[in-house]
Amino acid sequence: MSNPAQKQAQMITPDAYPQMMSRQDGMRAMLSMRSAQTMDKAQAAMDAAVPAMKNAILQYVGELEQAGGDMRKIFETVHEIRGFAATAGLVTTGRIAEILCRYMDDMERLGKAADGQLVALHVSAIARAARAEDDDVRLGEEVAAELAALVARKLLTAR
Amino acid sequence: MSGAGFANLKALIVEDNGHMRALLRTLLNSAGVKDVSEAAHGDAALEILRERKNDLVLTDMAMKPMDGLEFTRQVRNSPQSPNPFVPIIMITGHTERHRVEAARDAGVTEFLAKPITAAHLFSRIALIVERPRAFVRCDSYFGPDRRRRQIEDYAGPWRRAEDFNDRELR
Repeated sequence: MSNPAQKQAQMITPDAYPQMMSRQDGMRAMLSMRSAQTMDKAQAAMDAAVPAMKNAILQYVGELEQAGGDMRKIFETVHEIRGFAATAGLVTTGRIAEILCRYMDDMERLGKAADGQLVALHVSAIARAARAEDDDVRLGEEVAAELAALVARKLLTAR
Repeated sequence: MSGAGFANLKALIVEDNGHMRALLRTLLNSAGVKDVSEAAHGDAALEILRERKNDLVLTDMAMKPMDGLEFTRQVRNSPQSPNPFVPIIMITGHTERHRVEAARDAGVTEFLAKPITAAHLFSRIALIVERPRAFVRCDSYFGPDRRRRQIEDYAGPWRRAEDFNDRELR
């Protein structure tokens, strides 16, 4: 039961504030947005973005390698890589970046310093995967699984 | 069909990475949204919001000097905000649970994890159009209703006016 002294929250229903568009325009827009033509155009845009995204990833990888022991810089850059890699078609790079993101985030929340060697290992693996000519998903998955197991052990110890 | 429904829509992209801004713009264009403005961080985005009406905002989370969380809080709560109700989709690579919760508590309308796909982005836009969220105003929060679903055996406190209208006090 609520405390009677507690101020009640006010609910503002969607018809009581300005909407993004009218209901009629909304229906028309949804039909258009879900059409095969729109999806094809959108997919073409995604495909066209791949080379630029790959270049962006390589730039981030360079920054990652230059970061040295600057964990804040590594944390921020690896999150960018995680966000971009799959769009650039670099699945393995994204997967390894994801593991490092989770590890660094967990350590931050535990109030402990990330293991420099473990971070360096991930950075090296990310750089190799990003620069590989082909995104070898099978091999990459094996590397990622090894790193994930290593991180799990480190986190267990840290807790 | 050429996206006639979105023809008059004005969108704002707030993202520090130029490649991602370009991709988001192209995706919005392909959905029929032609009038798209861009900002590289929250401060610049607030300026744009003051200068022109925007119907939809896509924002990154991690940006400097003002990040997407503070930007969202400013849009929702600042007395200078031109439209505290504008739909905000946060698009970010920071997908840890506590960050998603921080985004929700800042007042974002929808959350989209990077890497993005066209289908995922369009699904979030569709939610805004087809299932607009109620807004909640209380001492500590103003923004879209954070309850996504009704929990049948909810045992927590009932605080909203309609909670009392709709049910007997427990």
